[in-house]
Amino acid sequence: MSGALRAAWWLRGTRWGCVGAGRRLSCAAAGEAKDSGSGGDGGGGSSGSREAVERLVRAHPVVVFMKGSPAQPLCGFSNAVVQILRLHGVSDFRAHDVLQDAELRQGIKNYSNWPTIPQVYLNGEFVGGCDILLQMHQNGDLVEELKKLGIRSALLDAEKDQEKK
Amino acid sequence: RPLCSQSDGEARVARVLRQSFPRASAIRVVDISGGCGAMYEIHIESEEFREKRTVQQHQMVNQALSEEIKAMHGLRIFTSTPKA
Repeated sequence: MSGALRAAWWLRGTRWGCVGAGRRLSCAAAGEAKDSGSGGDGGGGSSGSREAVERLVRAHPVVVFMKGSPAQPLCGFSNAVVQILRLHGVSDFRAHDVLQDAELRQGIKNYSNWPTIPQVYLNGEFVGGCDILLQMHQNGDLVEELKKLGIRSALLDAEKDQEKK
Repeated sequence: RPLCSQSDGEARVARVLRQSFPRASAIRVVDISGGCGAMYEIHIESEEFREKRTVQQHQMVNQALSEEIKAMHGLRIFTSTPKA
């Protein structure tokens, strides 16, 4: 098994379901106001406004809205996104912890019209959540998308090493 | 998993999907929260997804299930098109 495939199998095998009382591991905002027509858009000053979110997604080629931080994800899906980026050697990316900012948490969902976290943006464009990123990782699309951003995936080098052997 | 048939939650989500995607050739809804109704895995194959990017396909599913999603903790979506 190539390094990339071997790394991916554990992602599939991981149980991301609810574990333990009181610990919300993911990701649809049950109980939160999710109507797209209101909330979160309190004008330019609010951290969840369209303008504020727009600024965040454009600030860097790779931007992730997640639960917790890359060093300490607080959600299985958010963790998977961080691990996938790590596999590709993407260490330089912006991560925003939505658990720290309720307005941003709702604002980002309004902005992308997507009800769950994590959310991955490449070059300011919403790419998807954990499942889509995993799919892109497994079918090679992620390597291509990173290349478009001028980022060379670490997995390309890993495969080169494999071939040499 | 027990050998019983679909749970109520799974049946309801599947029914909404059938109504929203009349051309779907395959729909499978699995409660992966152990029956809590908190997290679902959705597999749906439909001609309606053809030529659409994955994000758009998932958006269509999110839209169809907007009410049901409010009560969920999380969901996983796997869309596909039938082999032409």
